[in-house]
Amino acid sequence: MTCREAGPLLHARLDNELDMAGSAGIDLHLSDCRACAAQYAALESLHEEIAAADLAFVPGAALERNLVARFLEEKISPFRSWNWLNSSILAAAVIAIALIVSIPMLRLGGGTDVITAEILDNHLRALQTVHQVDVPSSDQHTVKPWFQGKTSFSPRVPDLTQEDFILIGGRLEVIHQQPAAAIVYRRRQHVIDLYISPSTGADSNVELHELGGYHLLHWMQNNLSYWAVSDVDATDLRRFSDLIRSN
Amino acid sequence: MDTKVRFFELTMWPHMRAAYNLARWLVRNDQDAEDIVQESFLKAYKAQESFRGSEAKTWMLSIVRNTALDFRRRAKAGFAVPWEDQVHEPKDDSPDPEHVLLNQSRREKVRQAISQLAEEFREVIVLREIEGLSYKEIASVLRIPMGTVMSRLSRARNLLLVELGGTKLDGAGEVQHDLP
Repeated sequence: MTCREAGPLLHARLDNELDMAGSAGIDLHLSDCRACAAQYAALESLHEEIAAADLAFVPGAALERNLVARFLEEKISPFRSWNWLNSSILAAAVIAIALIVSIPMLRLGGGTDVITAEILDNHLRALQTVHQVDVPSSDQHTVKPWFQGKTSFSPRVPDLTQEDFILIGGRLEVIHQQPAAAIVYRRRQHVIDLYISPSTGADSNVELHELGGYHLLHWMQNNLSYWAVSDVDATDLRRFSDLIRSN
Repeated sequence: MDTKVRFFELTMWPHMRAAYNLARWLVRNDQDAEDIVQESFLKAYKAQESFRGSEAKTWMLSIVRNTALDFRRRAKAGFAVPWEDQVHEPKDDSPDPEHVLLNQSRREKVRQAISQLAEEFREVIVLREIEGLSYKEIASVLRIPMGTVMSRLSRARNLLLVELGGTKLDGAGEVQHDLP
């Protein structure tokens, strides 16, 4: 192989676009030709430098919200009318008020109910604000590392797109005075918050709690306490928890 | 499940970040990039019958690129928005405050070097080095032959190496080196 022939192949080799025979051919040339080897090394370090510089521009949360609002709530939804939207907001407000009234009473009950109410409280607060996620991303490899140094554990953030659970992002929460991770997924118009906090206790099966039309699933796994909360139906939420547990 | 919702969630939504990144690199302005993504999503949504189950990502990115080109054409026809004219200016004029602070950093140099490339070179670098697309995927986004992808990529990388003070280039592959 001459250097003239090798030139374009250096790029193809670097980009893993050659088959085994092609790679072997270029590797043989590189072991013989110092000029091409130096050129290859320069291309390789350029490639690594661009990767390390992490130059992807990240869209703001507003764009994400606009798109979701535009496509899921107005354009595509079978319940697309504003009347429906208004009435659903009204219904949500009614439920929220009912909960605000009922939560202090539930808290008196103590035990799991207190925690359940606290988790639901967090979920509702997040739904009411525009700021649902601190790190808006549909990419698990962006969301997971974001928690590094913020929580004492590394939360699992599986990609469940194939299963119709779309990752929206993550945010930091405090549960029992400890930093906890909230991973936010969406299934159609329903937001699912997955709360993960450190806890000592044996692994447990999934328990279902219901409160004010919301479903909450709780389980323990590897010294982490998991809560999945949503107004999505219980079957879907159960499937979601199964996927999280097995991923 | 509503097939249209499904289309949005499975075909369009997963590529939102890549769409934004490409648009942002092409137009070099946050607001324009957001508008382009929104417009592209509408186009993709309307054109969903024409989507034949090929690669969703390249299909979306191709729409984004065309929208960005239209956007520039409109900008040129209407207001005098200097867009492509900035190509050979030494700096990206994004109002990013980070830009000022890190101006001297290596990362910023790399960013600037890419930003200064002419569009045909910049887009192949963004698609290959930042989005990690294969040659075949890039060819499909840009609607050019694979050979053209390879030659543009090779040219673009050589320009970057020169700009970033890498190995001195004598056009490897174009010059016969001495063989030992």
